[in-house]
Amino acid sequence: MKTHPADKSRTNGDRAVLCLVATVATALAAVAQAADRAPCPGPDCLAAADKWFADEVWARVGAMECIKCHKQGGDAEDTLLVLRDPGLAQGDELKKLMQLNRDAFARVARLKSDGQPVLLAKVTGGLDHGGKQVLKPDSTGYRILEQFVRQIDTPTSAPSTGSLVDPDRPPFFDGVLMLDDRRLLRRATLSLAGRLPTEAELKQVSSHGLKAIPLILDEVMREDAFFERLREGFNNIFLTLGINGNPDATVLSYEHFEKTRLWYQKHDLSHITDEKERRQAGYKLANDYRAALLGEPMKLIEYIVRNDRPFTEIVTADYIMVTPYTARGYGIFDELQGQFSDPDDPFEYIPVKLDALTGRSRREDQESETGFYPHAGLLSTFQYLSRYPTTETNRNRLRARMYYQHFLGVDVLELAARVSDAAAVTAKYEIPTMQASECVVCHKTLDPVAGLFQDYWRFEANFAIYGKRKDGWFTDMFDAGFEGEDLPAEERWRALQWLGERTAKDPRFAIAMTEHAYYLLTGRRPLLVPKDLDDPLYPAHRRAYQEQRQQVETIARRFVDGGFSFKGLLSDWVLSDFYRADGLATVAATPERRAELDDIGVVRMLSPEQLERKLAAVFGRPWGRLTDQTAMLYGGIDSKEVTERATDPSGAMGSIQRTLANDVACRNVAYDFSRPPADRVLFPEIEPDVRPGTSPEADVRIRRAIVHLHQRVLGRDDEPGSEEVDRTFALFAGIVTDAATREGIDEREIYSCRQGLESPVVDAHYTVRAWRSVVTYLLRQQEFLYE
Amino acid sequence: MSNQTRQRRDFLKWCACAGLSLATPLRHERAVRAEDSRELPPYDGPYYIVFNAAGGWDTTYLMDPKGTGGINRLYAEGDILTHGVHRFAPTEKHKEGGLSNEDFYAEFGDELLVFNGLDYSVNNHAPCSRYMATGKLDSLAYPTFAALVAACQGPDCPLSFLTFGNYSATGNLVAMSRVPYLPSLQRIANADAIDGNERSPYHDDFALARIEQALGDRRAAQAARPLLPRRERAENMLYAAQVNSKALARVTPHIPKSIPKQRLAQQAEVALASFKAGVCVSANLSIGQFDSHANNDRDQMKLIPEFLEGVAYVLHRAEELHIRDKLVVIVQSEMGRTPTYNKGDGKDHWSIGSAMFLGPGITGNRVIGATDEGQFAVPLNPATLTQDADKGIRIRPEHIHEALRRFAGIADHQACEEFPLKVPAEENLQGFWS
Repeated sequence: MKTHPADKSRTNGDRAVLCLVATVATALAAVAQAADRAPCPGPDCLAAADKWFADEVWARVGAMECIKCHKQGGDAEDTLLVLRDPGLAQGDELKKLMQLNRDAFARVARLKSDGQPVLLAKVTGGLDHGGKQVLKPDSTGYRILEQFVRQIDTPTSAPSTGSLVDPDRPPFFDGVLMLDDRRLLRRATLSLAGRLPTEAELKQVSSHGLKAIPLILDEVMREDAFFERLREGFNNIFLTLGINGNPDATVLSYEHFEKTRLWYQKHDLSHITDEKERRQAGYKLANDYRAALLGEPMKLIEYIVRNDRPFTEIVTADYIMVTPYTARGYGIFDELQGQFSDPDDPFEYIPVKLDALTGRSRREDQESETGFYPHAGLLSTFQYLSRYPTTETNRNRLRARMYYQHFLGVDVLELAARVSDAAAVTAKYEIPTMQASECVVCHKTLDPVAGLFQDYWRFEANFAIYGKRKDGWFTDMFDAGFEGEDLPAEERWRALQWLGERTAKDPRFAIAMTEHAYYLLTGRRPLLVPKDLDDPLYPAHRRAYQEQRQQVETIARRFVDGGFSFKGLLSDWVLSDFYRADGLATVAATPERRAELDDIGVVRMLSPEQLERKLAAVFGRPWGRLTDQTAMLYGGIDSKEVTERATDPSGAMGSIQRTLANDVACRNVAYDFSRPPADRVLFPEIEPDVRPGTSPEADVRIRRAIVHLHQRVLGRDDEPGSEEVDRTFALFAGIVTDAATREGIDEREIYSCRQGLESPVVDAHYTVRAWRSVVTYLLRQQEFLYE
Repeated sequence: MSNQTRQRRDFLKWCACAGLSLATPLRHERAVRAEDSRELPPYDGPYYIVFNAAGGWDTTYLMDPKGTGGINRLYAEGDILTHGVHRFAPTEKHKEGGLSNEDFYAEFGDELLVFNGLDYSVNNHAPCSRYMATGKLDSLAYPTFAALVAACQGPDCPLSFLTFGNYSATGNLVAMSRVPYLPSLQRIANADAIDGNERSPYHDDFALARIEQALGDRRAAQAARPLLPRRERAENMLYAAQVNSKALARVTPHIPKSIPKQRLAQQAEVALASFKAGVCVSANLSIGQFDSHANNDRDQMKLIPEFLEGVAYVLHRAEELHIRDKLVVIVQSEMGRTPTYNKGDGKDHWSIGSAMFLGPGITGNRVIGATDEGQFAVPLNPATLTQDADKGIRIRPEHIHEALRRFAGIADHQACEEFPLKVPAEENLQGFWS
């Protein structure tokens, strides 16, 4: 099935056998192809066989295992079995590719060696299979191939019907309740712009339903808050804020920015006469400069999206973003000064094309045919290169790995293949990464991309990032290139641009960006293909994966067709059933159905940043305490050591939630009552003197106030007589009643909760504190703390 | 333990295990009420600490010394030291700070179980870390041992599983807690009091009781409704997190007044205070930079002593806190270093390594498994734990994890069944622990 470079040590006899097999196989192929179909009585039969192949042989074996090597540019590209990745193909194109794959499998399935099927021998590691054992003989995958071989051997038999897919199963989202349009809008505006929907937007949705939402989102995605969210979301992925050290040193290197990178140290602040003030201003100057430098990569993403540019520019943009402060660091402020609206604004970013780098000595000058730095979107930014550095032994492989993960959605180390004795392999070969098939399978893909970063070969970013290896690039690595295409020598000076151009055209790019959009909205990655074929719930997991994958591919195609609009991606996800799913009409009756629905629904615990924004949206001001160490305790990231946000609340986080609920209620309830009713956000239509149980009208007003709070805090549209309102009313009334029976109760709110009031607030009947308890109760609920 | 409390404990265990319980007909147990929200009794052990030498340690400078074939430049075969059955590399003369092997073995050798010749099967950091932490190479879903044992033995503890780094997947069984700084512990205690001051509660007692009751009532009402599985898990974990967080008040008396300087000691104090307060079952402690591709000997002579000093610190402090007899310590790394030096005097990734264990139920002064003179793993007979090059098997992380699960008494727990290691019965390591 394949020949690895490692296998080139085979004897001539081995080669002869393989050649013979290949020749015979080729000769038989045409006949076999016809014979394959001949006995099939009609189109239904053929369709069943094709479907069985697609659902079983391809989905469970070919796509999961074989195609890793058996593809163009793969380690087994020179074998009889060369498969085609369907990628984003659909319709006739998909059918055609699946047919080609079926034919390829069928060709090999007919081959025999000593009377035994070659396909089965190879896949279990026999006949010198380069990929060693892929399936165990007692595994489900093996049995599927066995069945396939049998079907090919006896074509008169009926096609296999052992598919695990039940043709009569109900639609995937059957019984799943979707968010109503108003709540969907609230979820989207809070998520994307950290604000509640406006009355006008709600009216649009009330009038036009779901159709109104794309237009509203289009406006929402022009707000500054959206771009803050966008930058935050992409930093969760690229982590470029996590650069070690001071960015003025590790982004702008000594070698190429020696004279300008520390400009702030000589910046004239003499107009500030007070020494302490001047020192503080100096600190601020440096901090703003460093923050601006760190912010450049995410500002590039913002610029692309804000200006509706094709999102492929994250790998192709021939510019970077600079501010008046960072421009000074690059030494280009004087020439750019006129382009800034405010040359003293540290955070006004504009796009700029840098000149090729000039070193302290000529040999450190950057080669460039155009005279410009060969920008390739994020890939060539100093921040990205500094965040993912290389070492003498790593040889840019980290960068290559991150490139695959970030831009093509491929985690090459995700599920590393087990090696029977990795230590022996390492010791046996002089160059295991080029000779040992176990290593070649990844390195043949990874190392060429590592080679594209070859001119960024410095190990201390403080001194340099750009720089060539003195002895030329390594010869004990696969040559620089991408997916089987070598980098032409004349393109080396712009190797990352060359890579960016190919990345933008790769179907995996669109998929990866669609997945990034999903991650941004839900806080989790799309499902991975289920691997355990023997799991009793495998069909359910597989269906869940396929349904989601289908949605990913549909949205990715629209992304491509729509000119790579990232806003369009977000909008499509928001409107999808996966984002709108919110509940169940009835309990999922079987473990299988529960497994299918296991990942459905956003149900995302809000990050510290999101929670602060939501508090600001609901109460008119943030809490301000979910920062620094508290943010880390609440599952935040530092983009360095801690790079994954917590998804479930620990006890520590539960404690912070309680503190938050107590404190936010404390700060806002009496304060809201102290304001004129028209300015209130929590209690616009009730006063503290309205007590429960004093009259039916009073109770009605209290219930209306609760309805308002439920809507504002939780986004619920409850009726005044609903169970939820009953429960909140009981809480409020119960506390007021309890207080009435206590002696020595103060007639004022507690000291800490009556600070900063706009006018005095009397709490003679404990109603203000009871309302504070109500708000505390609401803030501790899942509907507030999650989205 | 009262029946009511027991029921609640069962419920909360189920809450934390909700991700597992897809088919478990336990819906009636969700009807937890506010009266169940009283503080739980402290978890009283055993406690588990997993030390991780992130980046890949050089085992030939610790518990698997060679001194031949150019494997080590700092000592020769004849310099190898012993303590009981242990053989270890001499480091006293070479270390930069920290604790030497000599001192470590002198104090702990009698309690120490060493496994040599562990085959990680791959030699990249990410898969190796995952494999060593979970016992499963080809899945991203499996929980680490520390998370698993926390989920099985104390899912209702507010800081059940603490982590300070290393691969820390939980399999959705239990929430992972990151408490990076000692002062942070203070910060999260007494959430119902203004600035944590117990004398300044936000709410009067009767109001707070009403809030808790309303939340419990709401929780019960939600549980009676059909919910999406994710929503159901979230409701359960959120409720458990908030209710159980009250127990964090118990941590305060155990927070030391001074903060140690050493990296591992700082992590250890958070873990030990949490153990002592009965709010934590397990902790991942980790220090990095072992990936000594350049200047292997210099780096390892700085890091291994620092690492051992951290292990010793934990054991000493556990003694002072009177929990040493309940503390199980696992010391590991995600890979070893090659038997040869590269051109930069470094050593690259090696898929063979070692692990150390110490604690109640573990018989010390033992070494199981071995590597040969080339630092290749020697197959082991799992029944006799003797070397058997012909019929033995290669011991991989799943074998160690299966043994750990049995040691912790959780192998038959539903959580373990949900994440099976599929080690054939004949490959179970017999008598590994004692």
